[in-house]
Amino acid sequence: MRRRDLTAFAFQTLTLHRLRTGLTLAAIAIGVTAVMLLTALGDAAKAYVVREFAGVGTNLVIVVPGRTETSGGMPSFGGTTRDLTLEDVLAVARQCPAVRRATPMSMGTAPAEYGGRSRDIRVIGTTSEFADVRKLAMESGEYLPPGDPRQGEHVVVLGTKVARELFQGENPLGKTLRVGEWRLRVIGVLAAKGISLGIDYDDQVQVPVSVGLKMFDQSGLFRILAEAVNPQAVPIAQREMRAVLTRRHDDEEDFTLITQNAMLQTFGAVIDALTGGLAGIAAISLAVAGIGIMNVMLVSVSERTGEVGLLKALGARRRQILQVFLVEALMLSGGGALAGIVVGLIAIAIAGGIWTFIPLRASPIWIGVVLVLAMGAGVSFGILPARRAAALDAADALRGRH
Amino acid sequence: MSDAAGTAARAGAGPAAAGPGEAIIRLDHVSRVYQVGESQVRALDDVSLAIARGEFAAVMGPSGSGKSTMLNVLGCLDTPTSGSYLLDGERVEGLSEDRLAEVRQKRIGFIFQSFHLVPRMTAARNVELPMIFAGVEPRLRGERVQARLEAVGLGPRAHHRPDQLSGGERQRVAIARAMVMEPSILLADEPTGNLDSRSGDEIVALLERLNQAGLTVVIVTHDPRVAAHARRVLRMSDGRLVEE
Ligand SMILES: Nc1ncnc2c1ncn2[C@@H]1O[C@H](COP(=O)(O)OP(=O)(O)OP(=O)(O)O)[C@@H](O)[C@H]1O
Ligand SMILES: [Mg+2]
Repeated sequence: MRRRDLTAFAFQTLTLHRLRTGLTLAAIAIGVTAVMLLTALGDAAKAYVVREFAGVGTNLVIVVPGRTETSGGMPSFGGTTRDLTLEDVLAVARQCPAVRRATPMSMGTAPAEYGGRSRDIRVIGTTSEFADVRKLAMESGEYLPPGDPRQGEHVVVLGTKVARELFQGENPLGKTLRVGEWRLRVIGVLAAKGISLGIDYDDQVQVPVSVGLKMFDQSGLFRILAEAVNPQAVPIAQREMRAVLTRRHDDEEDFTLITQNAMLQTFGAVIDALTGGLAGIAAISLAVAGIGIMNVMLVSVSERTGEVGLLKALGARRRQILQVFLVEALMLSGGGALAGIVVGLIAIAIAGGIWTFIPLRASPIWIGVVLVLAMGAGVSFGILPARRAAALDAADALRGRH
Repeated sequence: MSDAAGTAARAGAGPAAAGPGEAIIRLDHVSRVYQVGESQVRALDDVSLAIARGEFAAVMGPSGSGKSTMLNVLGCLDTPTSGSYLLDGERVEGLSEDRLAEVRQKRIGFIFQSFHLVPRMTAARNVELPMIFAGVEPRLRGERVQARLEAVGLGPRAHHRPDQLSGGERQRVAIARAMVMEPSILLADEPTGNLDSRSGDEIVALLERLNQAGLTVVIVTHDPRVAAHARRVLRMSDGRLVEE
């Protein structure tokens, strides 16, 4: 039997029952569209996270207090966790040859007030090296001065948004800003940077770490940021830092080292799992649609028993009957899949236009996967009815007995 | 029809056909037993029969006597439980399912009481159907379809669907379809059963014309007027061939 005859034959049957065919196509299309949308969303989330973490810097090693079993995850607090101290920072900077510089980081939130305007603000306590490690540029004035981190002056550097909102166009340099109980002299304003590593650098202020710790009455640091001499040296730096810090913490590794790679891997894995789960749920709707195909085909076979008997009387082989019904199932699933892909592409284009900050894109791989899945559903759910048709006894089928 | 016509037809069947009297169909002690639950139904009971090439035979008998069963066996749609069947010298029992399909495709035409046209297809498509499954090249088909439809007087109705045709016309489409692969045997199971007497007569006349051109025809019928056209009448009762 020629391929064109086969498709023409199947097409003719499908166009006969427009409603039935249409509903089956719609069921498949919905499943396919769902898979496409959800996977596009997952991919977009991953791209978003990758873009965010790319800002961390490839040669950064972050020390977090507390120990986690798998490196790279969020640390779990509790147990006997020693604080990360300024001495730890100095030790890392001095004793680790693969580390170019290390900088402490404390964190807290306090009300800031100038000229009667007041608002809660995030306060980061750190040292002059922080600007280099986090690649911060100045809009005006100076960054925190170098010197002994244990004896910082009462100065503050502002994010642009803070400067704008509290000083209302006034030049903040040299002015005194009240932060909590502290009066700090503004020495600089950071250039706009936006969000990086979960911190909005435009909406925070930075003070010397000793001031930061005292302001919030903290004994330990929030983070230590260390920069390896180059990206290749990151594993060496990690090893050296682990050794130095473990020694300083009474031979206990009560801290966690995080690198950009580890974070990307962890978040990538989480999002992949999420995407897979979503796609799996969407695939269930494909399976349901497949059952729909099976149902339609079973009805079709029992309606056309006499026809199958006739075709056999006319000399059709068992394999040809099988093909006729299988091609019908394939046309249903393939047609539904194509419709679903078109709808999915349109939906993704529209959604991408509305939410421009999400990099929504239909991935060719997922389109391929979903197409194969849909066709697979067509074949696997179409095979049973097709087999049943092909196995009909010709004489019985002609008599309308089956 | 007279004896002379039948003889002429046989003589005109061409060199492929051996001399008159050679059996194109030969059943020897054929039985077909259906198992229905605990009991057995002997739909065909030890039937022996020879039908010569070019013959026009009618099969009569009461309902349930096994006429359709015999026709199905002759048409290789059903296989005997025991006995042997020689079709054109070839032993049928033991042939594979595909080979049986091929035999039906090339050598046998069927027509049925209920026409068995595919309702969604035009007359032309219905006639084309056997060639589609035989893999005949598309460009060869159109002409053959048209010729067959014209031979049954339905040339202008080629693009009508079955529901736009009368019963007699439908049966003529079915005959055109049965003949399109140029079989040597035409098996008709009560072809006039659903028709008024005039349409029925037209169908019988058509079958006679085909028979005169050399086709072997076996027709199952309840109608003595139809059987009267046959040169030979086979009577069945309880699965047995009782009289010729
Ligand atoms: N598939 C089957 N299973 C069981 N019994 C069957 C089957 N096909 C036919 N029979 C039985 O075989 C016997 C002969 O049936 P068949 O159809 O050949 O009769 P028939 O002479 O053609 O009758 P009618 O004139 O009513 O068409 C009947 O008793 C019928 O019930
Ligand atoms: Mg019958």
